[in-house]
Amino acid sequence: MVSFASFAPPPDDYDAFEKTRHYHDVDADADMDLGLDVDDDDEFASGSKLTCPGETLTSSHAFMRGHGTYVDNDEVIASVAGTVERVNKLISVRAARTRYNPEVGDLVVGRITEVQPRRWKVDAGGRQDAVLMLSSVNLPGGVQRRKLESDELQMRTFFEEGDLLVAEVQAFFADGAMSLHTRSLRYGKLRNGQLVVVPPALIRRLKSHFTSLPCGVDLILGLNGFVWVSKHVKESEQEGEDGFDAEAVYSNRNDDIDDATRTAIARVANIIRVLAAHFHPLTDAVLLEAYEWAVEQECSVKDLLQEDVGAALVAALSAQS
Amino acid sequence: MAAAASVSKSEKAFIQASLRAPDALRADGRTLKDFRTVFLETGIAPLANGSARVNLGKAPHEGGGGTEVIAAVKLEVEDVENGDGVDGGRVSCTVLCSPAAYPQLPANSLDDLQHDYTTILHQTLSHPTLHPSNLGILPRKKSWLLHLDVTIVSDAGNAYDVMFMAARTALWDTKVPRTRGVQYAARKGPAPVIPAGDASMDVDESGAPTSGFDTRRIPAAADFELPDYWDEGEVLKGRELWPICVTLNIDLPLSYLDATPAEEAATPLKLLLMFSFPAGSPPNLQGMRLLGPGEPQLSQLKQFVSEGESYAKELFKALEAKLRDEDARRNQKARDKFALR
Repeated sequence: MVSFASFAPPPDDYDAFEKTRHYHDVDADADMDLGLDVDDDDEFASGSKLTCPGETLTSSHAFMRGHGTYVDNDEVIASVAGTVERVNKLISVRAARTRYNPEVGDLVVGRITEVQPRRWKVDAGGRQDAVLMLSSVNLPGGVQRRKLESDELQMRTFFEEGDLLVAEVQAFFADGAMSLHTRSLRYGKLRNGQLVVVPPALIRRLKSHFTSLPCGVDLILGLNGFVWVSKHVKESEQEGEDGFDAEAVYSNRNDDIDDATRTAIARVANIIRVLAAHFHPLTDAVLLEAYEWAVEQECSVKDLLQEDVGAALVAALSAQS
Repeated sequence: MAAAASVSKSEKAFIQASLRAPDALRADGRTLKDFRTVFLETGIAPLANGSARVNLGKAPHEGGGGTEVIAAVKLEVEDVENGDGVDGGRVSCTVLCSPAAYPQLPANSLDDLQHDYTTILHQTLSHPTLHPSNLGILPRKKSWLLHLDVTIVSDAGNAYDVMFMAARTALWDTKVPRTRGVQYAARKGPAPVIPAGDASMDVDESGAPTSGFDTRRIPAAADFELPDYWDEGEVLKGRELWPICVTLNIDLPLSYLDATPAEEAATPLKLLLMFSFPAGSPPNLQGMRLLGPGEPQLSQLKQFVSEGESYAKELFKALEAKLRDEDARRNQKARDKFALR
């Protein structure tokens, strides 16, 4: 029923971080000033240079500090753990674990936190709550119609607090908050499944963030790290296929879900949790491979979360790619 | 519950339907009676008399995640005559919730939540049946005040069980410093005069004690001292008795253990059962709370209590084994390692 374990001891090379490490050989300061443009282009441009807080990146005479860095003793020093990025003379560090940085056109999954006059506030994992205007959702009775006062009065019949929705980032407000829209038949309220939250850095940009696995599971990989795992709905049965059916789109009722589908949903959700715990990037292809591996190994849904099974899964994935 | 996570109606329905399915399968593949893995460590705070860190449900090797609770015990000397001390010592428990554990709560409801946790923990642990007998220092003069401070660092569901587990572990780990009564005794009669010429070193056994200090344990001792000794003291008496809590999440007619926040939000009723297991006698129900808007019948409640007892027993056995393991790790293995160097 219950199992106890000890906390993992610090890694063996723990002491390695105690001695100071410098990105450049400090003795080679002279070289740095002279041959800067030639040397550093390769180092920063590759984009795979990892750094950790406190590590000296470069001299502040030659470079400007960007996000995730600070200047001390004429040196640009990283303040977060992540990848070093360089645009001309600007050095910045993109943190590995951070809140979601929205961009226009991103597909996100969010949760309604507040209903306000003519707008909803949505928690989409960003630094601020996103805003969904009443004018950027599809309303019953035709897509192209004016918003009426009656729509404002029954906003909770469309979305209420706690509801999950999939939307696209439409624009930004002056304060940096994102504005969402659901003006597509693919966007809207979510049902028939469960949510898994992973660090946003793990979600790769894909051709389509709506994928379906052959095991009868649909996936929505929100770029904000919210992943919606749900029962597969056939193309032809998708809401609004012929016209727009507001009943179905804003429904809170789940379809009947059989045990096999439920197990598949739980298995996919656990695979996502395991991959996130190992900081493995998620794409539709990776998830499909991982699912096949899990079925092949005949491990139960619960066993996936065990440490050795998870490690084996990640090892199998990296061996294939 | 104030701390409930927000879930949509369809998520709620999905969770309830999965729980009610004939072979129930929860969101992470557990069955109804499965706990997530519990990570446990004692002795994490060097300045405390006993301390523990417990985490429920984080992924191994992950830094964060899961319900994490830190508990620490600090003993303080109290004056019984002039201060607010109680003869034989007393126990006081406090629970703090980190705002990071409940980012959705405003400050005043966080205070309410802390108060709720504190009340349950304090009422259960300071009960006279559980009182350790070695918290007194000098009868009617000095006693130990045992402060148990619990911090909820993060909450991923089932905070009550983890809180009680951490409290039990910290109390198990607690060492009470050894004390010795001290009394100043004025010499009786005039100071002995050594006769001139008598240079023998024979001890005069019939005379009054030559020193004003007597460090034997005397009932009339006015103060105490801490003898210098190699270990930190003795464990609390009756440390096997400290209770554990089992939360039954009840969605009538079924019940399940170790709910995640989403499951907590989808379940109307929680039944907390605090059991202690004295060796050689039947388990004691030390406390019981019913939280939430659900309305169970009395007969159902009886069945849940007996059900909870069997789960508590299993949990207790597993925890006990782990605690003995930790004791061995910290005492024996640490000494072996030291000897190897």
